Amino acid sequence: MLDARNTSKEIAEGRPEIAVFGVGAVEQHSIHLPLGTDWLGVSDLTRRVARELDAFLVPALPFSMSECHGPMAGTVWLKPETLAAVVRDTVLALHAQGFRKVLIVNGHGGNFVLEAEIRRLNLNYPDLIVLMPPSFAPRPGDPKILDKGVGIHASEGETARQLYINGEHVKDKRIDYQPPVGREFLDYAFIGFISEWGVWGYPSYGTAEKGEKATTHRVARIAEWARETFSQVEVLRAGEEEA
Amino acid sequence: MLLDYQNTTFEVRDAKPDIAILPIGATEQCGDHLPVGNMNMILDVLARRVAERLKDTVYLLPTMPLGSSGLHWGKPGTIALEWSTLMQVVYDVVESLVTQGVRRVAVINGLGGTNETTVRPRENYIVKTAVRQLNYDLSELDAIWVQPFTVAGKDLAQILDAAEQDVHAGELATSLMLYLDADAVKGKGVDHLPQAGKEYLDYVAFDKLCPGGVWGRPSLASAEKGEQALEAAVQRTVEYIEESFAHLATMKRRTYY
Repeated sequence: MLDARNTSKEIAEGRPEIAVFGVGAVEQHSIHLPLGTDWLGVSDLTRRVARELDAFLVPALPFSMSECHGPMAGTVWLKPETLAAVVRDTVLALHAQGFRKVLIVNGHGGNFVLEAEIRRLNLNYPDLIVLMPPSFAPRPGDPKILDKGVGIHASEGETARQLYINGEHVKDKRIDYQPPVGREFLDYAFIGFISEWGVWGYPSYGTAEKGEKATTHRVARIAEWARETFSQVEVLRAGEEEA
Repeated sequence: MLLDYQNTTFEVRDAKPDIAILPIGATEQCGDHLPVGNMNMILDVLARRVAERLKDTVYLLPTMPLGSSGLHWGKPGTIALEWSTLMQVVYDVVESLVTQGVRRVAVINGLGGTNETTVRPRENYIVKTAVRQLNYDLSELDAIWVQPFTVAGKDLAQILDAAEQDVHAGELATSLMLYLDADAVKGKGVDHLPQAGKEYLDYVAFDKLCPGGVWGRPSLASAEKGEQALEAAVQRTVEYIEESFAHLATMKRRTYY
């Protein structure tokens, strides 16, 4: 694996096939998690994935589409066009250097412009494959790690992962709250209108042990999915139609 | 009460519409059997029935006929807007209404379907982001988006024989067109189910997965299924719109900062 501590010469000589780029966020995470939760989380996750794939790790972007947390102190956000432009410029810089496979890992749920921009890059650059892992449906035999599920914001999954990678900055007191509406209400109202304390889910269930298990499982799933999908897309682009 | 583009400006002003409805369609290849404009034809009828059934006074806009069809780029008849263009279109249209005093806008975005969610639009994906941005920027506005056959997903699973396999120009769209305008349907359509999952639509052009331009089973279509599916979608869309605006009216009275 290579990263931003390497020299340009080392990266040229190492010729990594895949580049990995994480998108983080700086935004309120209720009363118990730090503002940088998403950025710290995706920096850690992409480092582990890049190691698995022997890839070049681009430093994770700290800011993205957090405006639904806008009125809550410390939150910083990019508008959709800005995030898309940053991702596009980053991917095309890698492309200009010879990278043909880029894996974008999204660390913040509200970045809905990413998929649209990735689709556009793939359609416009036939010699470039840009992938973004989906949220994986559980498979038979998967370990049951979380009791209440990943949740929407500052909930069990996120709290568990922060406890694992950044435990000293997680506060003990936590508030559980499940709003009576669908997740798409974040398209309609600032989160403070939906949940007074900026939480959506059950953070009190988070533990460092669950965080470690979930991280290990997720890294393996992403790496496996990326290998398989890069090769399948190459086959499909070459025009070999499916049976 | 229902107003639309046949009314005069003074009629719209005096009626003070409670809700505006903006349908967003697409013009794109849909196999050998469906017209490229079928989504717009379906939405024209669906949105009007929704508007008629809502209790409020509604201003129904014409269906925006062009959308995100880049997947079908190069296929004759397909018109594709870049995501950034479609986002601006939605933004500008809704902003126009807000300057005139409209405070509630429901965007009926494409069709959706079984196995989809209210979190992620299947067609015209960027509409979600446009609606979100409008709500942030314009505090007096409540804008929502809905995909009619997603909110009717459970009904659809009963009405169709293979609802979970239906993605593009399949059993649903073909049934709806057989019901609405059978003369516009040319033959039965050729069934096709690719092995790859729907996420591959972000990575390769549509014809790499479905050379015939169909993902689903149009051969199972019938006018009866189309009639039932449309009725279910109208009813569920009305319910979603009424419930969502009611929730927002309560939520946004809260102060938190």
